[in-house]
Amino acid sequence: MESSDIMKAIECIIFVSDQPVSVDKLQQVFTELERSDIRKHLKEMIEEWAALDRGILLEEVAGGFQFRTDPAYGEYVTNYNKKIKKFRLSRAALEVLAIIAYKQPVTRVEVESIRGVDSSGVINALLERRILEIKGRKEVIGRPFLYGTTTEFLEVFGLKSLKDLPTLKEIDEISKNLEPGISDLSEQLSEQ
Amino acid sequence: MNEINQAAGSMDVREPCLIKLQLFEGPLDLLLHLIKKNEVDIYDIPIAVITEQYIEYLELMKDMNLQVVGEYLVIAAELSLIKSRMLLPKPVVEQEEEDPRAELVRRLIEYQRYKDAATGLSDRDILGRDVFKRDFDSTAYEVEEEVELVPVDLWALIETFREFYQRRSHLWAEDIVFEVEGVTVEEKIADVMEILKEKRALKFEELFDDCNSKFDLVITFLALLELARTENVLVAQESPDSPILISYSGENSLGIL
Repeated sequence: MESSDIMKAIECIIFVSDQPVSVDKLQQVFTELERSDIRKHLKEMIEEWAALDRGILLEEVAGGFQFRTDPAYGEYVTNYNKKIKKFRLSRAALEVLAIIAYKQPVTRVEVESIRGVDSSGVINALLERRILEIKGRKEVIGRPFLYGTTTEFLEVFGLKSLKDLPTLKEIDEISKNLEPGISDLSEQLSEQ
Repeated sequence: MNEINQAAGSMDVREPCLIKLQLFEGPLDLLLHLIKKNEVDIYDIPIAVITEQYIEYLELMKDMNLQVVGEYLVIAAELSLIKSRMLLPKPVVEQEEEDPRAELVRRLIEYQRYKDAATGLSDRDILGRDVFKRDFDSTAYEVEEEVELVPVDLWALIETFREFYQRRSHLWAEDIVFEVEGVTVEEKIADVMEILKEKRALKFEELFDDCNSKFDLVITFLALLELARTENVLVAQESPDSPILISYSGENSLGIL
């Protein structure tokens, strides 16, 4: 199979898929190819699509590859189809997601202690929407659920993997501003 | 005060007040707002001033018949404790005493970090909001339980209302108890929508032009909050100092009332 044929075939598979297509899945189709070969083809395809400068982009998200619209034209998509209710996340939902994304696996109580406010409603809504999932139970009294983010979370936020999350503002950066009076705070913080 | 309590009481019977403190992001959010508003250093919080303002807010929420949930009271108690500790003379002990504010500051900073991270997430190109994939099911992207965002920060809106409320307070006598005229939040919402449909947009103050009692004022504000939440109106301003504008944005999802 010619290299250009392989790329066109991969393109077809990604086009018809409603989920990001992983290298593993593609390898099940192109059994004669090594994963590294598939990766190389995908990289080339991404570059080609970008070079074409079209409204559709080929992107790596959530451990796979997906065609997505260019964000510059999102407004036209929603104007075209009025039925699309824009996906909105409340500030509460975003806060909960941020905490869980960075600290996972984490219990509800741990989330609430950071936010200082009950978060069960928001967590349930995000579970229902499958942006969050239960990862297990914490072996403490009451064995509370541990929550974490899903592949869908990565897809929604256009992240390749959790490693793709920007780093939180470094603790050192915060603590160097501390007043001398509460400098022992920095120790407490770095212990965590 | 009587008038409000009575009004609030009768409102409870007819319709449970829809607006709970869930609308707000919590006591830490309020504290960060006060710190920012007063332009003070988070590492050197003037506890007395901040505590006083914090409690003022809780009072206002009570006046508005908002349910002041326990979490807010816990922080209020914590603030008072810190305040009293700061007043105590330092014990003459060798070991270094921790600043009574340290634990609270630690919590505020940690919360701020995640607030920033949340903003970072929101700034990304979100699937179903900014970017789209093929064959998406639009209904799958709705998160129930959500609170809609408005361009004007909620606290700023409440702040404006609080100032406005105080400015107007001379207009009525405290001790006169009126019969409740039976205006419900629902009816008020309909009124506001009627006005907005005609005029398309109003200044925040104009919304309260016909209000001649505390009860009216509070009901109108609750109606505004509800309409903002359901996105029937847009609450926006050009810059933090410019007047708050309320504009009509469509007749959607009124059904949830």
